[in-house]
Amino acid sequence: MITIAVAGNPNSGKSTLVNAIAGTRLHVGNWPGVTVEKKEAIFEYNGKRIMLVDLPGTYSLSPYTQEEIIARDYLVHETPDVIINVVDSTNLERNLYLTVQLLELGIPVVIALNIYDEAKKKGYRIDIKSMEEMLGVKVVTTVATEKTGMERLLSTSLKVAESPFQYHSKQLDYGEDIESIVRVMEQRIKQSHATLAERYSLRWLIFKLLEGDTHILKEINGDGNGLYFDDVVRHLRKMYGDDIESIMANTRYAKASETTHGVLSKPEIRKIELTEKIDAVILNRFLGVPIFLALMWFVFKFTFDVSTPFVDWIDAVISGPLKRWTVVMLGMIHSPAWTISLATDGVIAGVGFVIMFVPVIFTMMFFITFLEGSGYMARAAFVMDRAMRVIGLHGKSFIPMVLGFGCNVPAICATRILENQKDKVLTALLIPLMSCGARLPIYVLFVGTFFSENSGTVLWSLYVMGIVLAIVMGIVFKRTIFKGEPSVFIMELPPYRMPSFKSLMIYTWERGKHFLVKAGTYILLVSIMVWILLNLPWGVEHKKDSYLGKTGQTIAKVFKPLGFGSWEVAASLITGVIAKEIVVGTMGEIYIEKKMVETTEQKTILQDLKECGISFTMAVKDSVTNVFSTFWMKSISIRGDKKLTPLRTVIQKTFTPLSAYAFLAFVLLYMPCIVASVAMRNEFGTWKWVGISFAYQITLGWIVAFVIYQGGKLIGIG
Amino acid sequence: MNLSMLKPGEKGKIRDIVMGGSLKRRLMDMGVLIGEEVKVLKKAPFGDPIEVTIKNYNLSLRKKEAEIILVTTDDK
Repeated sequence: MITIAVAGNPNSGKSTLVNAIAGTRLHVGNWPGVTVEKKEAIFEYNGKRIMLVDLPGTYSLSPYTQEEIIARDYLVHETPDVIINVVDSTNLERNLYLTVQLLELGIPVVIALNIYDEAKKKGYRIDIKSMEEMLGVKVVTTVATEKTGMERLLSTSLKVAESPFQYHSKQLDYGEDIESIVRVMEQRIKQSHATLAERYSLRWLIFKLLEGDTHILKEINGDGNGLYFDDVVRHLRKMYGDDIESIMANTRYAKASETTHGVLSKPEIRKIELTEKIDAVILNRFLGVPIFLALMWFVFKFTFDVSTPFVDWIDAVISGPLKRWTVVMLGMIHSPAWTISLATDGVIAGVGFVIMFVPVIFTMMFFITFLEGSGYMARAAFVMDRAMRVIGLHGKSFIPMVLGFGCNVPAICATRILENQKDKVLTALLIPLMSCGARLPIYVLFVGTFFSENSGTVLWSLYVMGIVLAIVMGIVFKRTIFKGEPSVFIMELPPYRMPSFKSLMIYTWERGKHFLVKAGTYILLVSIMVWILLNLPWGVEHKKDSYLGKTGQTIAKVFKPLGFGSWEVAASLITGVIAKEIVVGTMGEIYIEKKMVETTEQKTILQDLKECGISFTMAVKDSVTNVFSTFWMKSISIRGDKKLTPLRTVIQKTFTPLSAYAFLAFVLLYMPCIVASVAMRNEFGTWKWVGISFAYQITLGWIVAFVIYQGGKLIGIG
Repeated sequence: MNLSMLKPGEKGKIRDIVMGGSLKRRLMDMGVLIGEEVKVLKKAPFGDPIEVTIKNYNLSLRKKEAEIILVTTDDK
């Protein structure tokens, strides 16, 4: 099998190029243990099996960002047969800076001179022949968005990979001062540290040692014992009077400039580019923020209002026909009653729950991918950075935070737009404080029952409470868990480009699938656990005697000081871990003590299918009208009525307005739901942050509810 | 004089980066090298970060980071 690694700067069109080559064979996952996306594909080409690995986009191979470490560790340790280096033709010099570093590795390189059409349009002329000579590599011009040059790029890469000696990349001459040191060091390492010479490309290793690269020093620990190079370091420093990292960076950039000047001829007069014109409006002092907010509104509205009717449709199909027919089928094979209950209320409900997230996750992924690919995401960060910094966040954090109001799950998935691990984690930890749509049914029930006079204000206060606490917790986390972690904002503002639709779709699909498959497993497990809690011991007459009821009774006293210390409420809060809206459902089941009215109409499969079809058409219609009918968000507005249902009557007896408000605050804060937790686990590869999230939210929720209830009593409300 | 003191539209030549370590290396990786010409394009709506042109592309950085980049201008 031939391994091809694809390396290149961010915004060089690398993802599009990889998509153009791999298409639907692309698989999106994560690099082990980190939050950086890994894209790879295995396919056949001209009878050869090829593994294509897309490395994270980087500007350099320094050890300072996660992406850089991943890219270089892969190149150094997995030594692919050939590197396809994607270079943005419109920005040769900075892109070639990475090329120069790739050449140090001694792995054959093929340059894909991408976005070549744009360069031509600008009047750039690039001498491919000289470029190949100066760098000692093959160069292929490509336009990934139009799939031009892909065939040639692949065949050239294969040719190079198969005869590595013929196409061995040239070692660029870094000048006698450095080259003489390289020769001395090469001798020393070969003589006394032969194992190192086997493990690494010597030239690259020597440069890293000279630079004092902490990552590599740690890695060779042991094998590198007794390797002496202080003298050469001192020598270099004496000569240039600068730190060696800077000397190396300067030398490499000098090579990149030299090549650029040697091969590129630009027209004398520069046209004012489209990007400049767009930015003059989008980054305008007065218009910048309003435009950003308008775009956010648009994304939010589309993500949630377009997908909600479909979510409701899936819900209806699953809890209606699907459940009914499962019951019928299981009945036919005489399954015992408990298996039917487990299959419908445990398994199908759990799977259904995951499927309900499909529309919203996919729509969100689509927009995020589009915003990233078009170049707007960097502008959003630029515009919002100053405001978000107050809570220790990055400018880009605003987008996931806003999405959190619709649903925390896609919001947490969206934290992947942030580059820095700290920014990602901190944002994800604060997202659960954004009051999501699933909390609304609870608000509706309680606000409708206790505060129907001023429901708007009460509801609004809960949203504001979440935002205020997010700001407070952001500041707290910044000073505790993330203390001393530097935050930098050095970001390219790439030219605006239209992402290719196919690339968008593939990417959206893969990102969405990755989430659903992972999430599905965990959610199913939790769903079955809750079923066990609710229904066992099998045949309990009274919910009070189920495991859930017993657990509720045990933990109820914890909620006593908050004003809602009954076991029924405690039990509902436990099931709320699946999703907060389930709190209402459980309360209904426990308080009303009879199964939700189940109409066992007899319908044929055909009738059911027809109904599903009709309701799907309705969903499409709703989805369209949702977007165009109103400026306001349909999916998060209250659709409640003021009828006094049996549940409301019971609740009125159990709660006072004060304890009801404390309860709502607690529900808002007390924990991320299971799907959000799984999303967090997916993004960060560890349960650690999920644990921290649970711990701080439960504490915060308890304290806030306590202050509300006890404080309220003290000043004589309730 | 440092980069954060330039107004939109003003140009300067980078004289020094007065901070070592990873921040300096990151800046250099992005083409912020001594002797390089840099032009401030605009400031973000809230006044920070700023956008500059360097090595024929657009880079944004916070004022805090611009402060460690010393520049010389024609008139000074």
